Amino acid sequence: MKQLLLSIALRLRSSKRYKEVKSYVWELLNGTGNPYKKYLDTFIIFLIVTSVFILVYEVTNPVPIWLDYYDFYFVSFVFFIEYILRLWVHNDLSQYIVDEYRDSQFLHRDFELWPVLKHGLKEKLNYMVTPAAIVDLLAIFPAYRPLRVLRIFILFRVLKLLRYTKSINQFVEVIKNKRFELLTLLFLLLFIVTTAGIALYVLEERINPEIDSLFDALYWSLVTITTVGYGDIAPVTNAGRAISMLTIIAGIGMISFATSVIVSAFSERLSEIKEGRIIEQVNKSRSFLIICGYGQMAKMFFRQKKGSIDNYIILDKSLKRVEEARKDGYNIVQEDASRFDTLSKFNVDHANITILCLTGSDVENIYITLNAKSISRKIKVIARVNDINIVSKFEYAGADHLLMPNEVVNTMIRTAITQPTMYKAIHAILTGKSVARIDEMHVHDGHSLVGKSIGELDFKVNKLLFIGLQRKGEFIFNPPLTEIIQSYDILLLMGRKISLEYFRNRHEGQV
Amino acid sequence: MLERSILLFGYGSHGKFIAKGLHEDGFRLKIIESNHDYYLQAKEDGFMEVDHMDVTNDRLLEVLDPERYEQLVCVMEDEHLNVFLTLSLRSLFKESYILAISDSIHTTKKLKMAGADKVVDLYEVSANKIYNILKRPVATKLLEGFVSGRDGVGFKEMLIPRNSFLEGMTTDEIDFSPYGVLLIGMIDEALGHAFVFITAGINHELNQGDTIVCIGPEDKLNAFAEEIKKKESSL
Repeated sequence: MKQLLLSIALRLRSSKRYKEVKSYVWELLNGTGNPYKKYLDTFIIFLIVTSVFILVYEVTNPVPIWLDYYDFYFVSFVFFIEYILRLWVHNDLSQYIVDEYRDSQFLHRDFELWPVLKHGLKEKLNYMVTPAAIVDLLAIFPAYRPLRVLRIFILFRVLKLLRYTKSINQFVEVIKNKRFELLTLLFLLLFIVTTAGIALYVLEERINPEIDSLFDALYWSLVTITTVGYGDIAPVTNAGRAISMLTIIAGIGMISFATSVIVSAFSERLSEIKEGRIIEQVNKSRSFLIICGYGQMAKMFFRQKKGSIDNYIILDKSLKRVEEARKDGYNIVQEDASRFDTLSKFNVDHANITILCLTGSDVENIYITLNAKSISRKIKVIARVNDINIVSKFEYAGADHLLMPNEVVNTMIRTAITQPTMYKAIHAILTGKSVARIDEMHVHDGHSLVGKSIGELDFKVNKLLFIGLQRKGEFIFNPPLTEIIQSYDILLLMGRKISLEYFRNRHEGQV
Repeated sequence: MLERSILLFGYGSHGKFIAKGLHEDGFRLKIIESNHDYYLQAKEDGFMEVDHMDVTNDRLLEVLDPERYEQLVCVMEDEHLNVFLTLSLRSLFKESYILAISDSIHTTKKLKMAGADKVVDLYEVSANKIYNILKRPVATKLLEGFVSGRDGVGFKEMLIPRNSFLEGMTTDEIDFSPYGVLLIGMIDEALGHAFVFITAGINHELNQGDTIVCIGPEDKLNAFAEEIKKKESSL
């Protein structure tokens, strides 16, 4: 037996395929990155909704037998498989066995299977008693037909939906944080309910025809203290009414206390929850911007390009600036972008991320650049450099583009003085406000422009000025008309926005 | 008024760079600085005409006789002082051309109200650049190179002289590519002082006194500047 389990475990461990399948299933069930997870989730939600619909519909209408079969067998079967899979991927029994085996070989001691198996199974059991796992298990039960009562377990299928709603989880989280206060309150409530119930029972059991047992009295007490007051049981003696009055007053106090505890718990966590939402939202998009620092530069950037930036998130350490940005209506999170944890929260593997380091401090910008690049080389970094002397440090840190505000503005002023006409032209081009833009057009593999000569293209008709092309990192200014366009060339064009777009569309075959 | 002469207020992080550039371009410079350290720095850097003075004092400003200069450039390190100086200069000398630098959103507006003819906003220019880098990285890098003349290709503005062969030609029939340069746009003096891009799609007639802006390799641009002085094209 021991040998058999050990050989199975060893074989599983050495199988690459087994590990791949297992991690794939884990990702599918618990991860966030799997592209098919969406479809699985939708499918499960569909099963739950139909199942509950059938339950409700069945109360007053006969349902066809196939629908019954669908509900009992198909849905339950799927949930059963899901449950088993979740249990399977929760931990790795074979890993434990193999590790223990290797350790015992290393130490030349006898290999004991049972303790390690016990440890692994205990972990599985621990998983089985988590609320989510219990709900999953109960959701399978309605498949057992002989017991009609089990039908009500279908409602547990609704609870399965909680897995897909973040808000409930957050609610539970918040309540958990106030466990102490709420427990105190619960004990107080129990105490008052019991005391009042017993008092009424003793005082009125013989007089009041509605009260037959202590349960009735306790029921009355709870209904009264919560200010629900059905009125089916009411005190009839003065002493009973006096107890009622006291209970009601205690009830009002208690409810307001409970409310305030929960509200304060929420308001404490509110910003955190909101920030979590913002990060989650931005992580869903395929490409987004992370802007570090909400200073002058970021403000100006937003002010100018308000409508045209879709997916972005701002990170700033300072609470003051965070509040300012919130007031301005931007998605901001109070986080330190130079920390590893902060940037690794983002969907680094599956999204194109561009980080803008716009803080006023060069040291911080370099640190953020290094941090981003250490998480993934794929992250594009545009960094602001204040001190022109440390440009090489930024390049060394791996920044993709550098932004040197001082240098840019100094050049602009110099141009404005020495060549005022040109300044107007360049300024207009740089700000992109006027009719002239300089834009680039990437010629992809298989693009309709590939193989055409410059002379064949109708730049002038489209009111475009062809300035040159970049090929393999080299810029060719005003190439001869006979030059043939190749794949991966980048054309540099100047013209009005509509001319550029028209030209682009025409040559991508979209018009 | 002295030709190509600049009165530069401030020799801080911006002033230093601008002074150097203007000196290279052959401008006559006078530097005014109120901060003693910067003043010494300017002296050390070899500028002859440097004055250390309190720029808030109107009498001292009058003594400078700013109207002799083509442009007044205000790039003081302290932005409050810069706004105050612009305001003083404008109130004292109505005719002077004042260029000022702004390094915050709010200052730009104040400088304009104070009467600066042109304000270069550090953040506006940079914010645009970020956007350009995001949307068209290659074009931005190339353009930057053109502006700084780094890669040998640059912009140049030229005045059309009397009796140039360009006189009377229209922008539609012009093709400068045989000369190795491209026409970007022009200022048509007949139509006011606005800059018109060639790609705007409006046909213009070139006349004496118009300014054209071309892009091209440095040597070709210089050769072309000589070429347009001729009566007949050499091609």
